Amino acid sequence: MKEQTSNPVGKSVPRVDAFEKVTGAAKYVDDMAFGPTLLYGKIVHSPVAHALIKKIDASKALALPGVKAVVTGQDSPTLLGLYLKDRYIYAYDRVRYVGESVAGVVAISEEIAEQAAKLVEVEYELLPPVFDPYEGAKPDAPLLHPDLGKYEVVNFIFPEPGTNVSEHFRLRKGRVSDAGVSDEVWAQCATIVEDQYTLPQIQHAPIETHIAVAQWNPDGQVTLWAASQSPFAQRDLLAQSLGIPHGNMRVISPYIGGGFGGKAGISIEANVVLMAKAVPGHPVKVRMTREEEFVATNVRQSLVAKYKIGCDKDGNLLAMDLAYYFGGGAYNDYGVNIARAAGYSCTGPYDVPNVKGDSYCVYTNHPIGSAMRGFGMPEIHWGLEQIMDRLAEAIGMDAADFKRQNCVRQGDTILTGMTMPNVDLPQCIDKVKEAIGWGRVSKPSAPHKRRGKGLAIMWKAPAMPPNPGSSAIVRFNEDATLNVYVSGQEIGQGAFTVAAQMAAEALGIPYEWVRVSANPVDTKYSPYEWQTVASRLTWSMGNAVKAAAEHARGQILDIVAKYWGEDPADLDIKNGVVISYKSEREQSLKKMVVYGLPNENFEGWQGGPIVGSGKFMPTYVTGLDPNTGQGARAVVHYTVGAQAVDLEVDTDTGQIEVLKIASAYDVGKAINPDLVMTQIEGGAVHGLSSAFEGMFFDAQGRLRNPSFVDYKLATSLDAPREIHGDIVETPLEDGPWGARGVGEHVMVQTAPAIANALYNALGVRFNHLPLSAEKVYLATHEGEELTCKA
Amino acid sequence: MRPFDYYRPETFEEAFRLLTLPDKRVMPLAGATDLIPMVRDEHWQPDVVVDVKGLPGMCDVVEMPEGLIVGAAVRMVELMHHPLVNSPRWNLLAQAAAAMGNEQVRNRATLGGNLCTASPAADSAPALLTLEAKAVIRGAAGERRVPITEFFLGPRKTALQKGELLIGVLIPAPPVGAVGTYVKLSRRKAGDLAIVGVAALAYPHDGGHVWCLALGAVAPTPIRASEAEAALNAGHDEATIEHATKCAFDACCPIDDIRASAEYRKAMVSRIARRAIEGVLAKLP
Amino acid sequence: MLHEMSLNINGETYPVVVKSHDTLVRVLREQLGLTGTKVGCGNGECGACTVLFDGAPVNSCMVLAVEAQGHRIETVEGLSQGGDLHPLQKAFVEHNAVQCGFCTSGMLMSAKALLERNSHPTEQEVREALVGNLCRCTGYIRIVDAVLDVAEAGS
Ligand SMILES: Cc1cc2nc3c(=O)[nH]c(=O)nc-3n(C[C@H](O)[C@H](O)[C@H](O)COP(=O)(O)OP(=O)(O)OC[C@H]3O[C@@H](n4cnc5c(N)ncnc54)[C@H](O)[C@@H]3O)c2cc1C
Ligand code: FES
Ligand code: FES
Repeated sequence: MKEQTSNPVGKSVPRVDAFEKVTGAAKYVDDMAFGPTLLYGKIVHSPVAHALIKKIDASKALALPGVKAVVTGQDSPTLLGLYLKDRYIYAYDRVRYVGESVAGVVAISEEIAEQAAKLVEVEYELLPPVFDPYEGAKPDAPLLHPDLGKYEVVNFIFPEPGTNVSEHFRLRKGRVSDAGVSDEVWAQCATIVEDQYTLPQIQHAPIETHIAVAQWNPDGQVTLWAASQSPFAQRDLLAQSLGIPHGNMRVISPYIGGGFGGKAGISIEANVVLMAKAVPGHPVKVRMTREEEFVATNVRQSLVAKYKIGCDKDGNLLAMDLAYYFGGGAYNDYGVNIARAAGYSCTGPYDVPNVKGDSYCVYTNHPIGSAMRGFGMPEIHWGLEQIMDRLAEAIGMDAADFKRQNCVRQGDTILTGMTMPNVDLPQCIDKVKEAIGWGRVSKPSAPHKRRGKGLAIMWKAPAMPPNPGSSAIVRFNEDATLNVYVSGQEIGQGAFTVAAQMAAEALGIPYEWVRVSANPVDTKYSPYEWQTVASRLTWSMGNAVKAAAEHARGQILDIVAKYWGEDPADLDIKNGVVISYKSEREQSLKKMVVYGLPNENFEGWQGGPIVGSGKFMPTYVTGLDPNTGQGARAVVHYTVGAQAVDLEVDTDTGQIEVLKIASAYDVGKAINPDLVMTQIEGGAVHGLSSAFEGMFFDAQGRLRNPSFVDYKLATSLDAPREIHGDIVETPLEDGPWGARGVGEHVMVQTAPAIANALYNALGVRFNHLPLSAEKVYLATHEGEELTCKA
Repeated sequence: MRPFDYYRPETFEEAFRLLTLPDKRVMPLAGATDLIPMVRDEHWQPDVVVDVKGLPGMCDVVEMPEGLIVGAAVRMVELMHHPLVNSPRWNLLAQAAAAMGNEQVRNRATLGGNLCTASPAADSAPALLTLEAKAVIRGAAGERRVPITEFFLGPRKTALQKGELLIGVLIPAPPVGAVGTYVKLSRRKAGDLAIVGVAALAYPHDGGHVWCLALGAVAPTPIRASEAEAALNAGHDEATIEHATKCAFDACCPIDDIRASAEYRKAMVSRIARRAIEGVLAKLP
Repeated sequence: MLHEMSLNINGETYPVVVKSHDTLVRVLREQLGLTGTKVGCGNGECGACTVLFDGAPVNSCMVLAVEAQGHRIETVEGLSQGGDLHPLQKAFVEHNAVQCGFCTSGMLMSAKALLERNSHPTEQEVREALVGNLCRCTGYIRIVDAVLDVAEAGS
């Protein structure tokens, strides 16, 4: 151990996982060996968007040599879901999107399974599909889930049986009624913008596709190896749905090749477990092809958003009337909570006296909308942050000043009635203005090009049930190196590294002494963690790690204090050595943290192997009134931030080049500043990419671009050369060292910042994502004659 | 992936025997960058693939009195850097090769594969059209040469008969002083297929210039824009260029697809043609 | 159809029996256990499977294993020699150019090939060389910086 970093919190120490990853040694699920009894599974996907299943005939598939089993929804009509149990693991009597799992084939090789999957014959009776969430929410729309009223649902989600609305969140604040904001309020507005903005479904597109291996042993022990952000949540869901005792259900999850929310909750994993059940004792592997990943795993929901927002002549926001229709896709087991989150944060980061907000999650015959980085916030900010610019322009105010004037501040009573916790959004705005050179006009690089700058701000709270828990264990080795056991997943964000930093800091040992024992996370051995979602790990898991380390520290100080006959309060641990401020004695941690210390004259021993445990669970989140969305504390906290974009548009072709993105986020405390910067950079490019991404469906609901050939991610050439980041640190009351999360926030407002910059460059607004050169061109060349002779 | 058998013949006799195996679907294989995705997705279901890279001359670039012979299995990366291809005469082809895909793809993809796939968006095609190349085709019965304009019959359709191989292209040396430019527009800066691709070439003649212009991705096959060429042959003033780009626009009949609408493609044909023309003008002495 | 042959990987000779339609990445990962090379699309579009083929980066999901006979294959496992990280690996660690790590092997291989043919690339050249390697996490900036750093240190 060459270097010794004491007090690592706040320092940009190297990542604990980097070495394994640059050598190719890091193991992901598909890199694990399962031995010669491994079988392969293939899912039979529905080719139609909405239909009744009349008949499934698997006899030809079963007759193919090498096929071991075929499972269908008839075998086990089991409902599954995190918030709303609305999904059969395999379609039971009906399919609701192209790509839905209808059957699972197990065979001795992937090729045979693939071939057999094509031989499963399914007879469908087509039903009318619903693709648009706004249309789908109407009372006369074809019903996707006639049994909606019978599904099990958590007590904070409100489906509307008899319709396609799986969640309806109502926010009522100030002078509003169900009919809208009071006319008197609108009458006070100097300007009002009323408009509609939409976003298509997009895909997480982690470079590692979904993969799961399951084994169901004859003794009832079930093991699932999965690329998962949620091993514990998956264990719980599987145990509940399949009637497996939690203790018999084991989920193992190693490194994950990118998640972005797509590997949260549950997707194909239950299908694989049921395949394994059909071939007891054999592990069964299912890996999604990139094409399957697009249609048959999770996607980000689409949105149709209707806004009416007004302000007075001085630029004070007076009223918002908002209706968000999320296209939740065929199953909304997770998506309902996105609509809810969009509902209780519907105003964006603004203080508005009168708000009527309705947020709906609507069933559509498209792939399953689920958690994705930002969880509803990128969707609602797309329109909000453009309308703020439009209002500012209408009353002749600078857009950044307008946002700064209206944005939430600490102590504000925000839309749900909750008091805004400690954050500094104005400072974030000031930082990005400075970094982007706000107000300064840059010269385009060619006469046919235009430059433009745009700015957008955001907020986001961790969207979760009120009581998601974290736990951690620390355990010393003889040489005083420490193993930290957590179940937060390392999905690239650096969770393991900050866990190690916090443990070292809280214990008083060098960073280099800490090992993170979380790869793989194994529900049989690892401490409980709800899920790696909601940007909650640094905060929640961090608190648990800190508590575990403090628990261990307390034990050590007690032993040494007794040994020295001193008061533990006079002792401290510095750099791996216990010191007494009173007697100035020193005791190395080595050996004593396992063997304890002898009593004087060797009359017995005290102490023993030090193991610390810690937990954290927020206990203060309250319910909200179902009719008004009001309550004492809707969420644990908010993270806020600002982004500004400088871009250039080629007016000949419509091509957009984002030259620079400047971001500033209030993270409370940067446990590892460089890791925060890598989130800021990666998020900015993810946000940029998402503005140009879209899943395009045909009229039958089939995806037209299910591969990277035509679903384009930003490449190294598309990403801006310059990404500036500023870290603002306004400590969070209950964050470890004041820290709050920032993993998702970094991409929330990139798309509207780009749109605002486009407006600045061209004077044209874009209401519908995705952006493309084509859209820009056509919008700026309306009326051009485009009929040619050929 | 659906199983198939692989052979790598070293003589043409053996290759033609394999290509005409009875009751088998046989496909030539070069860089496999089109073939593997197509087989994976089961659009193509060969029982046998015949690797053409071991056949004599397939990987060679040689200068002959009639012009440059580029073997069908010559890779894009080689076209980019080969001293003859990259010489002023044929450099347009090197530009087209560089515009294709990404590094990994260019290290495998061959000129022959690009032409035989016959995608309307094939990046090498417009360059070869303007260079008036000929496809050199060989079958058991012997060799024939087909002007590249007649090689493409439609999307994914070529003049190759069953059992025939494209063994190379013959590219006559354009007259001294010829300069060319290939301009490609796609959704992303690189690594993407063309929405529109335009190759332009001009050489001095009789005190003026002779122009060749070819368009990719805007018709069922890559096409020459002869009216635009005729316009440019008359001069290069702004009005003529404008007229020529209008002619290029009129020559195209694009479709809507996932990459672009026909509308946008049409609008871009004249824009990209202009860039190609201006690129050539900038290089003309 | 089976082919009995040998593969030269990272300087070692591996006798293997492969099927005609086996891709190189499949044989590397599933037969030889060289799982550092990843699969992100199987379609030539993501670069996660990039290996060097006679020194040039190729997508190993688009190469048939039988075609690799007689050629030199390099994978991420061959980068570090004698226990020392390759300068590129070191730079990736130092620059925090790694997040989820799934693109990392491919990125390293593309970068290695670039520096071998152009020891002093510009930023533009680095970005062009990496365009076939998708990264969903990092925004590329650290990766580009890491490669430029190694190029500079080599001067
Ligand atoms: C990521 C990616 C990006 C791409 N980007 C581009 C791009 O920007 N522009 C572009 O034009 N293309 C692009 N392509 C498509 C492809 O790479 C090219 O068409 C390439 O040139 C095909 O050559 P190949 O040697 O790989 O052909 P193969 O896949 O080996 O063969 C293609 C077809 O041609 C036949 N064939 C090959 N050689 C012969 C021969 N000598 N005689 C008869 N038939 C033969 C094969 O049977 C097959 O039908 C891209 C592909 C990928 C995977
Ligand atoms: S896996 Fe080979 S390019 Fe994506
Ligand atoms: S680090 Fe995750 S894809 Fe690059």
